[in-house]
Amino acid sequence: MTSESTLFSNRWLPALLVAPFMLLIVLFFYVPIFQAFYWSFFLEQPFGGGSMFVGLDNFARVLSDREFWQAGWRTILFMVTGSSLAVLVPLILAVAADRKIRLSLPARNVLVWPKGVAGASIGVVFAFVFNPFVGILAPLNQAFPGIWAPGIDGTDAFITLIAAHVWGGIPFNFVILLAGLQSIPRTMHQAAAMDGAGPWRRIFDVQLPLIMPQLFLTLVLEFTESVTSAFALIDTITHGGPGGATTLLVYKIYKDGFSGYDLSGASTQTAILMVFVILLTAAQFVFLGRRINYER
Amino acid sequence: MNAIDTAIRAAAASITVKGLTKAYDAQTVVIPPMDVELKAGEFTVVLGPSGCGKSTLLQMIAGLERVSGGKILIGAREVQDLEPKHRGCAMVFQNYALYPHMTVFENMAYSLKVAGMQKAERTERVAAVAKMLGLADYLQRKPGQLSGGQRQRVAIGRAIVREPGVLLFDEPLSNLDAQLRHDMRVELADLHRRIGATTVFVTHDQVEAMTLADRILILNKGRIEQFDTPKAIYHHPASVFVAKFIGAPPMNILSVTGDGSALRLADGQVVANAPLTGAYQLGLRPEDIVVDGKADGHAVKAKLRFREDLGSHSVLAADLGGSIVRIATPFGAEIADQLELHLNFPTSRLHLFDAATGRAIPGAFGAQ
Repeated sequence: MTSESTLFSNRWLPALLVAPFMLLIVLFFYVPIFQAFYWSFFLEQPFGGGSMFVGLDNFARVLSDREFWQAGWRTILFMVTGSSLAVLVPLILAVAADRKIRLSLPARNVLVWPKGVAGASIGVVFAFVFNPFVGILAPLNQAFPGIWAPGIDGTDAFITLIAAHVWGGIPFNFVILLAGLQSIPRTMHQAAAMDGAGPWRRIFDVQLPLIMPQLFLTLVLEFTESVTSAFALIDTITHGGPGGATTLLVYKIYKDGFSGYDLSGASTQTAILMVFVILLTAAQFVFLGRRINYER
Repeated sequence: MNAIDTAIRAAAASITVKGLTKAYDAQTVVIPPMDVELKAGEFTVVLGPSGCGKSTLLQMIAGLERVSGGKILIGAREVQDLEPKHRGCAMVFQNYALYPHMTVFENMAYSLKVAGMQKAERTERVAAVAKMLGLADYLQRKPGQLSGGQRQRVAIGRAIVREPGVLLFDEPLSNLDAQLRHDMRVELADLHRRIGATTVFVTHDQVEAMTLADRILILNKGRIEQFDTPKAIYHHPASVFVAKFIGAPPMNILSVTGDGSALRLADGQVVANAPLTGAYQLGLRPEDIVVDGKADGHAVKAKLRFREDLGSHSVLAADLGGSIVRIATPFGAEIADQLELHLNFPTSRLHLFDAATGRAIPGAFGAQ
């Protein structure tokens, strides 16, 4: 067995090598998290100055707020539909690309491009694409006036948001899933073909079971990411509207904290959101992760 | 003999290949037009070096590779345009290709499940095959928990559980270690004797070919060099290629010239009397050369270069007029190093080949 000491003769060298990275993580991740949890037990002054320990009062206030629960449910709705589609759509594309159907080679490159686009830019583009007057659905409005109105209709706004989110999620998930599909040995397909399974049957009996590790990875990342990354989209497309229909928790936290100057309330909601995401991820590992067969 | 043996024996179908070709484009022709017939219930080994087209041939029979031209008949049915599942073939792959997420039972039952067989019947079938292959205790395991030999057996079980008309093997033993390969070879021969399925077995290992085959089909660059029983191929190779490919060490091939009465080596030594003129290739198996003997034929002088003692016999390498000749002698024969050897080439054991085409010239030294 190789122990770490045989790789590094100097015991401080490894620590020194990871130090810059550790510093970054601590400074920009653990400290803010600690700060958020800390503030959630205090009543903070909006412009600095003294703060007052209030125990669990902040939590009592937030949890009794109807708007918090509405934003919470919207977050879960967005998470479930957005993440599922953000995995399902790339999965379909990856299966098609793996089949080497016509144009799959250029598609493989084109589909990766959105990865290089920032969330806010995606938001601006989709705000234009789904604009009821000049966007792609504008002709629909000409035929049936008022059928597509994301500026007035909360559902339409929500759909716009999910479409933008799914589009932004395609590249990464597509690459991961395609890599999983391509690592399935060719003889596995041939064996299934000899066993009489047609192309569709092979997808469900051979391909999907064999890319479970990749599916699980994309799903876990999507679930956690959808909670936070929606911010850039909301901020550029809907600003939480109309009528708060697209105000997810992450956007509500921002508004409460930086527009309402309720720093304690925002910190408390941040803490709750963080605990929720941790529990959700843990649950995924406990209930799904164990059943996954990593053997090839 | 139980039910499944009988069923497979009954299903065994012949394979007829007519004018079969495979080409990727005009330049890369893998298999030029090929005609061959494999009898029902026969164990055919397709033997050849890498890139000779043997796997391509197998995949075309299986339906995993498109044919460029010609026909494949399984039984009386033309199958070259059918999907693999409609051809009645089953295949065992080199890397086993077992489904890692399914148990041994599920692996073996999968084709039956796809075919829509009832669960009770499926269970019964798999149980019978598992018993035959000694896998009954492993049905609930996953392939990852099995040894190489067991996985191989599961792959074979998965193939025969469908009672296929044709059983195809694509270098199935090359992933196993030497001892296991030997054991599996014996098992395969035994299995074939019991179930009598039409079998096509692709390999580059001549030992597998010699021990398993009813007939060996030797391919070279997509062409059939010879298709005959192991015995005939060993004793009457149809070409220099076959002669060099079969036998360990392989047959010695010497360039000789006929002067009308005798065949001479490049240095002028006479190796055989024959009324031949022109250039020829002369073949002689290492075990047929007699050292310092008084057998018929002519003694030639050669220099001993080195010897390998293999226990059962020794292999000598001798320099004969500039080319190395290998000689198999009984172990322990007293031959000093760096000695001049007198080699006797028994005329009845000589093989003569055309120098230009490499094809055998039968009967050149009288009846063989």
